[in-house]
Amino acid sequence: MKLKICGMKYQENMTEVAALQPDYLGFIFYDKSSRNFDTSIPEISNSIKKTGVFVNEDLEVVIEKIKTFNLQAVQLHGEESPEYCNDLKNRQAELVSASLEIIKVFSIKNEFNFEVLKPYEAVCDYFLFDTKGKHPGGNGYTFDWNVLNNYSSTKPFFLSGGIGFDEIEAVKKFQQSMASKYCYALDVNSKFEIEPGLKNIELLKDFKTNLFFHANHGTDSNLNKHMENYNVNEKGYYGEFGGAFIPEMLYPNVEELRQNYLKVMAEPDFKKEFDQLLKDYVGRPSPLYFAKRLSEKYNTKIYLKREDLNHTGAHKINNTIGQILMAKRLGKTRIIAETGAGQHGVATATVCALMGLECIVYMGEIDIARQAPNVARMKMLGATVVPALSGSRTLKDATNEAIRDWINNPVNTHYIIGSAIGPHPYPDMVTRFQSVISEEIKWQLKEQIGRENPDYVVACIGGGSNAAGTYYHYLHEPDVKIIAVEAAGLGVDSGESAATSVLGHEGVIHGCKTLLMQTKDGQITEPYSISAGLDYPGVGPMHANLCKTGRAEFMSITDDQAMTAGLDLCKLEGIIPAIESSHALAIFEEKTFKPDDVVVVSLSGRGDKDLQNYIEYFKI
Amino acid sequence: MNRINKKLQENKKLLSIYFTAGYPNLTDTVSIIEDLEKNGVDMIEIGLPFSDPLADGPTIQASSTQALKNGMTTEVLFDQLKDIRKTVSIPLIIMGYFNPMLQYGVEAFCKKCQEIGIDGLIIPDLPVDVYNDEYKATFEKYGLINVFLITPQTSVERINFIDSISNGFIYMVSSASVTGSSSGFGDEQMSYFERIAKMELKNPQVIGFGISDNETFTQATEHAKGAIIGSAFIKHITENGVNKTEVFVKSILG
Repeated sequence: MKLKICGMKYQENMTEVAALQPDYLGFIFYDKSSRNFDTSIPEISNSIKKTGVFVNEDLEVVIEKIKTFNLQAVQLHGEESPEYCNDLKNRQAELVSASLEIIKVFSIKNEFNFEVLKPYEAVCDYFLFDTKGKHPGGNGYTFDWNVLNNYSSTKPFFLSGGIGFDEIEAVKKFQQSMASKYCYALDVNSKFEIEPGLKNIELLKDFKTNLFFHANHGTDSNLNKHMENYNVNEKGYYGEFGGAFIPEMLYPNVEELRQNYLKVMAEPDFKKEFDQLLKDYVGRPSPLYFAKRLSEKYNTKIYLKREDLNHTGAHKINNTIGQILMAKRLGKTRIIAETGAGQHGVATATVCALMGLECIVYMGEIDIARQAPNVARMKMLGATVVPALSGSRTLKDATNEAIRDWINNPVNTHYIIGSAIGPHPYPDMVTRFQSVISEEIKWQLKEQIGRENPDYVVACIGGGSNAAGTYYHYLHEPDVKIIAVEAAGLGVDSGESAATSVLGHEGVIHGCKTLLMQTKDGQITEPYSISAGLDYPGVGPMHANLCKTGRAEFMSITDDQAMTAGLDLCKLEGIIPAIESSHALAIFEEKTFKPDDVVVVSLSGRGDKDLQNYIEYFKI
Repeated sequence: MNRINKKLQENKKLLSIYFTAGYPNLTDTVSIIEDLEKNGVDMIEIGLPFSDPLADGPTIQASSTQALKNGMTTEVLFDQLKDIRKTVSIPLIIMGYFNPMLQYGVEAFCKKCQEIGIDGLIIPDLPVDVYNDEYKATFEKYGLINVFLITPQTSVERINFIDSISNGFIYMVSSASVTGSSSGFGDEQMSYFERIAKMELKNPQVIGFGISDNETFTQATEHAKGAIIGSAFIKHITENGVNKTEVFVKSILG
């Protein structure tokens, strides 16, 4: 199905909307409309048909606009007669665009006599059905699409009138029905606006992804765009992974978040505040650094995305900033979080201090003992650190405790999950907050080497939040290969490992279906890695899907390989990496890249926190 | 008719007891069940232990951890229960988390339950919609009643939906909490019990979480059909051993 976005008004906004590559862009030439178009059209892709919308306009004026703006389609919204359409058709020869498409609009209330279409059959290319209301054009609400069950023509039509993000399910249902047999395109307008004529780009993007990337089981697949979708679908699944396997006690909390997260993230105020904090507080954009000596050593082109230079020393803060703003928008006053090594705990305590919110961090009793500096940091930042005393007393148990806290405090508390895991919408929300990483890589690479796409993006994976952010804008770029690096611990077959893609099976942990290390009986097992950030028994559901579909190549790196690669980076580039990130760096010993390959590696965190490990390991 | 439905028709308030299978010792499972029935308990939830029980408080967590250490598995539990219907006739429900069931195979699990004579399942982390879309037919094929939870935060709309797809009873979680966390019911909870009773749902309600003595049992069953006790019973057997069930049941029923 095609997409038409109508009611364009502002230059910059037009360029942004055009970047989403709709099939039609609509410009309203009607001075009584609040979206009346009175400027010029910026350069946009030829594949997008510029459509002029007119209401009972003088034919000569229409012709003039077609010529001036090089319109490829005309949408007639008034009581234009078949003769009028015919006259317009006959004037095609003198127009710039010889193949002018004529779209005739009909408004439907609760019923419609399709007989009135007959005289138009021969003189129009498409029909467009919208909602009958006070104004010509959409009135911001849908009509009863069941009326189209009686559609007697075979001419393809546009479905219009009040279609917004909330209609995704209804549209999908419609696509399954016979009434959609001749539905050629969807036409959207006011439901995606910040103000008349100003479109909400994020919301449009989400709508398009949701509806056009995987709704391919519609009635006429020729009209649909085929593309594998690696993003979450509207039910919260990545392929077969994801979902929200939560006890009923958590349902209201998670549902509240699910219903609001995309809307909140699309609010201009939210975006502005998020971007501002990332810039002024976190220190973004983080540099994309060409590692010259490392590149020479491996005879390829290695770029490091320096998330280690963020405030608090890792990518974790991108997500906690986003989630604390979300929590505030949802009126929450109390923040809880889980932490393994303490990085996410520190990032959460930091943003809670920034916003003046109460912060409780759950941390395994064993981790508290081995990560004393981070425990101290959290306390200095005003957080309460609560030991998780159950189970193995590490990260997964801290996560259980945080979830139990949330069950006990369903109204005033927001749970800031630190990785791309948990029940939907967490994996997607965290991924979106982290996606600033690949958003920056794109323009930074363009600036440095003249193209946005590297040959490879590489990141380490525990739960997978830095990886999700590093891959996000490249998921649907087939020329970019994705490498995910897991911790093999003492070796994949040693029994002391966290290589989930190899050792895991499909299962349910912490509210989502994913690849999971477990016993045959379904009990979750303890992973091991020298790196506290990678020792999680599952991976985020997005990564499970990337693994299963083969979109990403999964590699396992042992403690020894990672430690060596970490020290190597210190000596070659003067950067002490977190042990997590060292896993990603270690692949260059395992895999040979071509001299011309551009390989972007996410340097997810700095190594200060791991000093004790480095000291003990290398007997420094 | 399923034993649960039959039991729900009896003209009395029902006492249901939860315990963790394989705790305190691996082989205590069957004798605990027999003892509970003998002492007048109406229904039993047999807890299949899980490594990461999200909805449970410290008492049940600790019993689960111990049971797993003792060697309890899905396979072992089914084996222990294989002759249970020779001695026990009250309704038996298996309560456990979804992952062990998924690994056993949902259909195989249901089939085994039917063979043994299990009447229903409670799986707190299997969401209503997933059950409805994917597993309802399987549960029904093997005659199993699936029991859903509602909480004080559950919307009226959702309660009605849950009622519509249930065919046994509704498990009313007494307050926003994990198991074993409160003592005594306040006005807020009592008005919640009343509010739900007034909805006149087609499925009777049985209240769980926070019931530990005669007082809370009486409060809970004022408006509901029955009450479920878990943590308090586990505490009791932890402290007094498995042979004092009679004392416990008497203390509840008064």
